[in-house]
Amino acid sequence: MGLHPGGRMSPLMRIEGARRTFSVSRGLLARKRTLHAVNGVDLEIEKGEVLGIVGESGCGKSTLARMLLGLIPASAGRIVLDGAEVGRMDARALAARVQPVFQDPYGSLNPRKRIASIVALPLVVHAIGDRAERRRRAVEMLERVGLPARLADNYPGQLSGGQRQRVAIARALVMQPEIVVCDEPTSALDVSVQSQILNLLMDLRREFGLTYVFISHNLAVVEHVATRVAVMYLGRIVELAPAEEIFARPRHPYTQALLASVLTPEPGKGLPDTHLGLAFPDPLDPPPGCGFNPRCAYARAVCRKRMPALAEDGPARVACHAYDPIHGKEFA
Amino acid sequence: MSAILTVEGLEVDLSVPAGTLHAVRDVSFEVARGETLCIVGESGCGKSMTALALMGLLPRNARRRARRLVFDGIDLAAASRTQTNDLRGSRMSMIFQEPMTALNPAYTIGNQLCGVYRRHKGGSAAAARERAAFLLGKVGIAAAGERLGQYPHQLSGGLRQRVMIAMALMCDPALIVADEPTTALDVTIQAQILKLLKDLQDEFGMALVLITHDLGVVARVADSVAVMYAGAIVERGTAAQVFAAPRHPYTAGLIDCIPVPGRTKPGERLGAIPGTVPALVGNITGCAFRSRCAHAQARCEDAPPQHAEGGHEWACIRGAA
Repeated sequence: MGLHPGGRMSPLMRIEGARRTFSVSRGLLARKRTLHAVNGVDLEIEKGEVLGIVGESGCGKSTLARMLLGLIPASAGRIVLDGAEVGRMDARALAARVQPVFQDPYGSLNPRKRIASIVALPLVVHAIGDRAERRRRAVEMLERVGLPARLADNYPGQLSGGQRQRVAIARALVMQPEIVVCDEPTSALDVSVQSQILNLLMDLRREFGLTYVFISHNLAVVEHVATRVAVMYLGRIVELAPAEEIFARPRHPYTQALLASVLTPEPGKGLPDTHLGLAFPDPLDPPPGCGFNPRCAYARAVCRKRMPALAEDGPARVACHAYDPIHGKEFA
Repeated sequence: MSAILTVEGLEVDLSVPAGTLHAVRDVSFEVARGETLCIVGESGCGKSMTALALMGLLPRNARRRARRLVFDGIDLAAASRTQTNDLRGSRMSMIFQEPMTALNPAYTIGNQLCGVYRRHKGGSAAAARERAAFLLGKVGIAAAGERLGQYPHQLSGGLRQRVMIAMALMCDPALIVADEPTTALDVTIQAQILKLLKDLQDEFGMALVLITHDLGVVARVADSVAVMYAGAIVERGTAAQVFAAPRHPYTAGLIDCIPVPGRTKPGERLGAIPGTVPALVGNITGCAFRSRCAHAQARCEDAPPQHAEGGHEWACIRGAA
């Protein structure tokens, strides 16, 4: 593994100018239109970190997750894993190193397969071990994620949501991947089960030295697990910073609104005023300039004309004209 | 303050293939005029069934019983179907989780808003339209005239939920029952919608029963809180009482489960409640939480004793600290 000039480790995965568009039909006779789900994302994933990706529905976070997993090819740009381009890698070689845990443990497990064979499937695909060896490893992993071995011959339908999510995690880990992409892994679970799964993910990270990409709309959860956070809005990263920095000093007005919207269980605090208008952007018809400008209380003329680029500000990178050395003065 | 809603000994039984599922078990509470009561619990705890039972909207395989079920002086338990239909949407109205399925996709917003008004209040189409436009303005939707002609799919999720709120307000209700009204919405929109509901409540004075699984929502909007577990209310009190000094081990466990900026340290283990919710089919005896409770003792197999302390009530062998 090479070193950057600054002495930092080279990243495990590098995302360079990644874009993904979809052609969207808006009715029988309407012309198809282009949705820029991921619209120029640059990101590095360092070994051992938990990179939280936050944003609201339609911001492109799940599309980005699927691109990292090689499930959706990039329309433009590159995703590079240890020097090899994800789009050109053998699907099996990629799957051995990058594994998913999805939101819905009901939809992501084959209802007709027994638990042990669901967990052992990656081993079958990679032709690892014989039948008995694969089963032994599957059961071992099931026990490691907190499921009793007696469930090995059950079907997913006989398990609770939390148990199913444990199965999904066991399946993701059975190949000992380096990166686990968790897309809203606890959003479908009750809070008492969510805490069990979060604790498990944190334990497994330490035990196996895993790197997580952790996608969630729940900022309290992301603050709890992430070491670094990327905030996405309309297909772009608008802020990227170490977790403690972004929660202590959010810079982008959208990050500030997101954090202000978190309802902590503190009675008497009342409801926050997010200062966001009602204008909700149409992802098919994003506003000119900064995508956030129609909802932004600080928007100036330049925000409606030019898209801000990610610029360094202390330990953070933020895409907002207010932090731009030239335009920033207008906001003072 | 007099109670707008009194519920005593509410039971909802569902016939399921395996037998009788006791979805709501001996639930009692009161809601004062203008008060916000939050009913909180995890999936399957009976909170939504309680809401539907109040509104007379239970599924066909459900049976409702209650010692008392009184809304605004009217005995709901004895009310005829016609009486219930006249109340629902008028004096008491409901907001659902998913506005896309609660609104009819084939009718315009205006049609649906005005329909409620004319069903209950009669009057001219013009009067109904005027009321609809007025309320759309109140829920923060600009260009109301234009919006009235639009269909639900032309609005974003947040705007649709605003329309649902306007619809609930059309006939000036004394009570709104909202079942997870912001769960399907983005976090920034959730904060906006909850703020809107509270502002409208201040202006129009209706009582609100808000059903949610989200303790953050409860803490920020509730006057009083009822925590449900396995069909029963295990703890009741003001928001301050329940969050500052939870008495039931389930409530305390639930609060410990959620990461709270400033209270839980990033990366550290969160509290957890071991085990799973018991099946509610067949006879349930004793405390339903005892199989998951760290304080369980042999006497938890009997019905738990009720404690009360300054309006704070809980059902557990453990008394006041």
